[in-house]
Amino acid sequence: MSGYWETFLVVVQIALRNLFASRYKTLIVGGIIAFGAFLVVMGTSLLDSVDRAMSGSIIGSVAGNIQVYSSQSKEDLDVMGGFAFDANDIEPLPDFARVRKVLMTIPNVKQVVPMGINGSMVLSGNTVDLALAKLRQSVTARGQGEQGATANAAYGAEKDHVRQIVSVLRGDIENVRKLNDQRALENVDLASVSRAASPEFWGKFDQDPLDSLEFLENKVAPLATDADMMFLRYVGTDPKVFAQSFDRMSIVEGEAIPEGKRGFLFSKYMYEEQVKLKTARGLDKIHEALTVRHVTIAKDQELQRLVREASTQVKELLLQLDGPRTDLFRQKLQAVLGSQETDVGKLLGQFLNTTDENFEQRYAYFYKELAPSLELYRIRVGDTLTIKAFTRSGYVQSANLKVYGTFAFKGLEKSPQAGSLNVMDIVSFRELYGFMTDERAQEIAGIRQASGAKEVSRENAEAELFGAAEAKDAANTAAATVDDLSTELAGLGGTHRRDQDKGYDPAQLEQGVILNAAVLLNDEKQLDQTVADIEAAGKREGLPLKAITWQKAAGLIGQFATLMRVVLFTAVLIIFAVALVIINNALVMATLERVREIGTLRAVGAQRRFILAMLVLESVVVGLVFGASGAALGAILITVLHHVGIAAFNDVATFFFSGPRLYPLLATHNLLLALGIVLFVSVVSSIYPAWIAMRISPREAMQSEE
Amino acid sequence: MTAIVSIHNATKDYRLGKVVVPALRGVSLEVAQGEFLSIAGPSGSGKTTLLNLIGCVDTPTTGTVEVAGRNTAKLSERELTKLRLNTIGFIFQSFNLVGVLDVFRNIELPLLLQRALSGPEREKRVFELLDRVGLRDHARHRPNELSGGQRQRVAIARALVTRPSLVLADEPTANLDSVTGQNILDLMKELNRTEKTTFIFSTHDARVMAHASALIRLADGKLAERGELGPTTGEAAEHAAPSSAGAAP
Repeated sequence: MSGYWETFLVVVQIALRNLFASRYKTLIVGGIIAFGAFLVVMGTSLLDSVDRAMSGSIIGSVAGNIQVYSSQSKEDLDVMGGFAFDANDIEPLPDFARVRKVLMTIPNVKQVVPMGINGSMVLSGNTVDLALAKLRQSVTARGQGEQGATANAAYGAEKDHVRQIVSVLRGDIENVRKLNDQRALENVDLASVSRAASPEFWGKFDQDPLDSLEFLENKVAPLATDADMMFLRYVGTDPKVFAQSFDRMSIVEGEAIPEGKRGFLFSKYMYEEQVKLKTARGLDKIHEALTVRHVTIAKDQELQRLVREASTQVKELLLQLDGPRTDLFRQKLQAVLGSQETDVGKLLGQFLNTTDENFEQRYAYFYKELAPSLELYRIRVGDTLTIKAFTRSGYVQSANLKVYGTFAFKGLEKSPQAGSLNVMDIVSFRELYGFMTDERAQEIAGIRQASGAKEVSRENAEAELFGAAEAKDAANTAAATVDDLSTELAGLGGTHRRDQDKGYDPAQLEQGVILNAAVLLNDEKQLDQTVADIEAAGKREGLPLKAITWQKAAGLIGQFATLMRVVLFTAVLIIFAVALVIINNALVMATLERVREIGTLRAVGAQRRFILAMLVLESVVVGLVFGASGAALGAILITVLHHVGIAAFNDVATFFFSGPRLYPLLATHNLLLALGIVLFVSVVSSIYPAWIAMRISPREAMQSEE
Repeated sequence: MTAIVSIHNATKDYRLGKVVVPALRGVSLEVAQGEFLSIAGPSGSGKTTLLNLIGCVDTPTTGTVEVAGRNTAKLSERELTKLRLNTIGFIFQSFNLVGVLDVFRNIELPLLLQRALSGPEREKRVFELLDRVGLRDHARHRPNELSGGQRQRVAIARALVTRPSLVLADEPTANLDSVTGQNILDLMKELNRTEKTTFIFSTHDARVMAHASALIRLADGKLAERGELGPTTGEAAEHAAPSSAGAAP
């Protein structure tokens, strides 16, 4: 026993001394191995951490652990929206209450959140519309005999504001004419704006204010519509259950949608990104980049672009200024810039053309002095939002929803991925998506009765429609003919009548159609098992349920970690393949240099396995020593980073890091993995040289040096 | 008198590509225990091949080679290695010490391969031999810190450390100056006398041959002559009668 040990020690001694004798070669080989091990430990630890953080982001923001939807759907569900704007073609599940009941029979299911995801263009009244609406109010009030000094002053100011807007629009159009081919512009538009900007128009305004207003509303206002369209993705859900299940969600402004109320919550990110005055948003972005990322405008092209945009695109801001505020801005800007310029547009451009030296001062000035006179958000909390969406059958459906507030997911405030979905109650969602609700069914029944329309079968519809001369209202007749069609048409007619504050029976949240549902688990480790359980339960109960993990539900984003892992392992594979070749070569060379020594050992009585052990040991020692130091270096770095954290370098990274900083965790299995790979490579790379060495004949010892 | 080595009509062919080169063309030889035998002959006469066969690092193409009573042709690679380890000591022309090990470890190496003795026993044995070769003070030196003669003395100590019954030396003095070579030969002879160890060494140096108690001469892979020599009569080798029988020293 001790004999073996002593012999082994001599083998170790010979191996170590040989390594030391050829230390440069050893260092090069070892360096490659150390780097590989370092990369494995660093890379896998970082990826594991990102994976963990990202799963937190995805699970915690909207996906839940598992998403359930109809297995009859034509497309796969992708809750993060991927790169497409339209929602996936998901077949609805008609009865959420039943789905929930079936899912809750599985012990690992903690909560089921009903959902439907869609997106639509949203029209918010733009500045022109708002100004005109105000003016119309005043005109109406005056028509009803309201007079007085303050009312007159307000009326005057409102007229001035509209005039100001018209002149800004005219300037815009003329600019476009200068730059573009004249034919590209409708001459009618120019004529309309020119008329609206003329002193005669305003001279005659008071004679027939309503007629003038109509002209402005119909001919001039549409010319400024570019700023008032926005695309919003939203998830219709049970707001209360949603907030409870995704506990990182918190209300930033306003309040949660009250129980039983129709309503809309903006994601704070979207609210800032799409609703905020663009100039202000641009300044915020520059401010954040300068203070958080510590970059400079002088060196960062992205910031230079933002500055350029801010200083050239002042129209949106100018449109908000009525006469007195125009004067106020001129005064303030002249003072702060020390300029004699009288054109407020140019003054603003100059003010916003910031540099690293003056940015912070102007940023502070903007919010302190200018912002109080501006509407920073096109839609304010408490406003009503009109959402127009295409139903599944292609009709436009609309709903007026009160904006109750804004929300964000903790740690993910800056992430466009987590912030891409706004929230509405699922009852409103169903309407927008074109599903019949009890309330709508009653409403339609009411319309039918009122219009005297009768129920007509599909086959007879044509005859009824064209044969019935008495039909007063084609729309109502059609509404009565085909059920789903009637829903759409009634919707079109009914939107204005419905009170947006009208509530609904909370029971409706449960009973009705959903597109998908997020499932939260008690034990996240049993993910795959629960997916199987859900599908089995669906089969048993005759529900077409398809269950996917959060990773799949997040589409491309969910695959990110997997993708990075493939990249990392490819890199590691290449490094170790190179290491293998190099070590192999080095060992073959070393073996050939040591033919006499090995021959002597063999002659003196060393068995082949002694030689084998000697060579493999050399390679394993190099592998382990350098592999361990590389792995240790990686471990130390990860430990340091665990305490310091890695700052999210941009908004997207915030999502992957599940917060502003990633605190990577060292996984011990990654250390073992690194050492395992190194050991494997060492042993494999020494097989061929060892084979050569074992075939060296003891006769080689007898060959005399020539 | 038992024969430690007995060779019967051994031939050895080497293959160089497609050409078969006969290195030994039928040699018969008996070496008795305790002999101090010199193998002489010009380069290419088959000296090294014969030593290889005797040293169990090679086996004959035809004929038999028996070392310590065992037919080498019938032994496996492992058994041959074992036979070398336990029965034969080797001394090489270029000393062939393990460069990365010190003198003590070089000498101890065969004992470590044998795994028969404990640490203290090995140490005692190594130091005995270091005393015999006069290198006790150099135990912790590396081979490259020693002179040629000192290295060959280390090699001798290594060859003897397992107390082999047969020591083979391939031109042991060829890389040494004549005075050092003389000292090495004196040492080998002394060991031969006191330990009764059989020595077989190849050489083409007449002065070295003069020390042998018996001499065989090879030419073209054949035994040209075998002669008995008196301990001090070098010239006798030239006139010795051919013989195939072993002789007492």
